[in-house]
Amino acid sequence: MSVVRHLSSDGKELTIAIHGKFDFGIVQEFRRAYSSLGDQKPTVYVDLRQTEYLDSSALGMLLNMRKAISDHVKGIHIINCSAEVSNILDISRFDKLFVIE
Amino acid sequence: MLQPSPPLVIDIYHDGSAFAEEVIGDLQHLKLAKRLRLKAFRDWRPDALLPHPTLLVLADFAAQLEQPLCCTEQLLILPFQLDAKKLLLWPGDSLVWPLSVPLLSKQIQLLVQRFQCAHQLRSMQESLAWHARQVEREYELVENIFQNALSRNFTDYPHIRTLLAPAAKFNGDLCLVAPGPTGSLYVMMADFTGHGLAPATGALPLSQAFFAMADRSVSVAEMVTEFNYRLHRLLPNEMFCACFLLELAANGERLTYWNGGMPPALVYDDQGAIKHRLKAQHVALGVLPTEEFDAQVSSIRTSASDRVAIYTDGVIEMLSQRHEFLGLKSLECYLQAYPQLRDFDRLIHKLEHFRGDEPLHDDMSLAILACCPTGLAPARAESEARALPFSFITELNADDLRQVDVVSAILGIIGHLPNLRYHRTTLYLLLAEVFNNALEHSLLGLDSRIKDEPEGFTYYYQLRAERLQQLSKGMIRVEVSYQPRSAHIYFTLSHNGTRWQPQSQAALAGQERSHGRGLELLRHLASPLIWHEDGRTVEFGYYLTPTRSTASTTG
Repeated sequence: MSVVRHLSSDGKELTIAIHGKFDFGIVQEFRRAYSSLGDQKPTVYVDLRQTEYLDSSALGMLLNMRKAISDHVKGIHIINCSAEVSNILDISRFDKLFVIE
Repeated sequence: MLQPSPPLVIDIYHDGSAFAEEVIGDLQHLKLAKRLRLKAFRDWRPDALLPHPTLLVLADFAAQLEQPLCCTEQLLILPFQLDAKKLLLWPGDSLVWPLSVPLLSKQIQLLVQRFQCAHQLRSMQESLAWHARQVEREYELVENIFQNALSRNFTDYPHIRTLLAPAAKFNGDLCLVAPGPTGSLYVMMADFTGHGLAPATGALPLSQAFFAMADRSVSVAEMVTEFNYRLHRLLPNEMFCACFLLELAANGERLTYWNGGMPPALVYDDQGAIKHRLKAQHVALGVLPTEEFDAQVSSIRTSASDRVAIYTDGVIEMLSQRHEFLGLKSLECYLQAYPQLRDFDRLIHKLEHFRGDEPLHDDMSLAILACCPTGLAPARAESEARALPFSFITELNADDLRQVDVVSAILGIIGHLPNLRYHRTTLYLLLAEVFNNALEHSLLGLDSRIKDEPEGFTYYYQLRAERLQQLSKGMIRVEVSYQPRSAHIYFTLSHNGTRWQPQSQAALAGQERSHGRGLELLRHLASPLIWHEDGRTVEFGYYLTPTRSTASTTG
C-alpha cells in the first residue's frame, strides 16, 4: 500500500500518507484517497514522511487534488517533508498554494 | 536431612601421653567411625576449618586451648584430676575421663551431629552467597544491557522534563524520546504489567523498535501497530503494556497521539488552564492480534505556550502516608500550580511531600513536554569521505524500456552510495524529468498539452501506458559519472527518437499550469544543463552540496 488514507474519528482531519515513490503510478490510488471527504469539511494533510522519490507528475497530482477539493476542505497541508522534498516544493513555489509544515 | 549418620572419619589430636594412649585405645573399641585418624596435637590450629568431627585428647591443659575457635564442634577430653576452672577457658565442648561407655558414646554422637549440622549450614551459606553473587553479577549485566538499549534516549531534549521512579531495581515503565528526521519529536511512555525484571525485559524489544522507527520517520499509527505485533507475540497472556505515543511536529503546532490503556495525558497552557485530556481510546499493547488492533490516531493543534503531561498510573495511584491516593484531580491541581517547565523540580518536590515516607508500590513516571518548535535539525547530509569515483553506461532497447522502471533501477544502483544517498530524492527527480521527456515526447510521441484539457492528466498517463506497451523500436542510453573530489555527478542521456525543443522559461510562467514544472525544476537544480543534437542528447550535472533547508538550519 503506497497510499494510506486515514479520516479522524471526528471527521475533521483527513491524512493521506504516500509511501515510497510518489508519481503517476499511483494516480488512481491517490485520487481515491480524497474522493470521499465526509461532511465535516476536514483539513487535509498530505504526509510525505515516507516519500522517498517524487517527480513533476506528483506535483501535477497535488495541483489536481487542490483543484478538485479546495472548496470542500478547510485547507490542504503538506506535512513532514524531508529537506530535499521541501527544496523541491519551494522551487515550484508550492508554499503559495499549500500550507507546508 | 539432618539425621546424623556414622561419620567416615573422626580426627583425634593427642599429645602422645600415656593418658592419651589409654583413651584412644578405649575409643578404638567403640567403633564410632569407619576410621579414627590420629594426629599430633602440635599440628592442631584453633583457627582451622575442620574437615571431620574432631576430638582432642590431652593429659594437660595447653595455652592454645584458650584461643577462639573457628569451629566449636570439637570435643576436648582431659583427665578428671585437672582444675575444672581451666575447662571454662576452652570455647568448645569437653568431658573428663574416665566416663561410662554409654555416656561417652552419646557425647561423641552429639558431637558428630553438631558437626554435621554446622557443616551443612556452612555449605548452605556458601551456596547462598554464591547465588547472591551470581544474581548481583547478572543484574549488573542486565543493567548494562538496559543502559546500552536506552543510550540513544533523547531525554536531554531541552523542552522536556522527565521523572522515572522505579518501585524495584528494574523499571517496568519506559519513557523514550527520539528526534525524527523531519525535525519532529517522538515521545513514548509505556507501562508494563507489574514491576521488576520481568516487565523491564519487554522494554528491550520495544525501545529498539521505537528508535529504529523514529529514525525512519515512521508514523505514530504504524509504530503502534508494529509494537503491538511484537508484544502480542512476545508477552505471556497475563502481561501487556499500556502505552502513550505522541509525535510533535517540527513547528510545535500539531501533536499526533495514540493512547492505549494509559491515564489521560493533560494538555494545559502556561497559565495552567487544562485544554485537553487525551484519554485512552484503545486497549493496551500486546492484547489484541494485528487483525483486531486499532491504530487510529488523534491529533490536536498546539502552540508554543502549551504543555503536555504524560504519566503512568503509578503517579495518580501513589499512596500518601495516610494511605490516600493522589488521584487525577490533585495531579491537575499540582500541574496548574506549577505550569512552567522550570517549576518541574518544585512539582516533583510536592509529589514527594505528598508521599512522605510511604514506599512506592508501583513504578512511577512523569514527563512534561513543552509544545514549542522543536528546533531539531532535519537529518543532515553529512559528507562521507573516501567515496570512489565511478561511471557506468546503460543502453536500453524497446524491450528494456517496456519492462524496467529505468529511473528507479538506476537510483537503486547509485541511490545508497556514500554521499549520494542524501541526494537521492533530488537525483531521482532530475533523472526522471529528463528520462520521461525523452521517452514520452521523443519515443512515444506524446504532447504535454494534452494535460491542459479536463481529465487530460489522467488521459495523458493512460496514453503513455498504452504506447509504451506497443513500443517496438527505440533506444535510450544513460551515462552516469561521479567525481567525489568535486562533489559532482554528471548524467548524459541520449535517444534515437524524434527531435525535441525545450520550452523557454517565459513560456512556463504561471503557478497552476498543468505541465512544464519538471523543466523548471531541472533549470533550478541542474548545473550545467545542455541539449545537443536537436534535443536527442541532454547532459546535466548536479552538485552534491547540502540542500538549502538543511544549510539554513545547520549553518
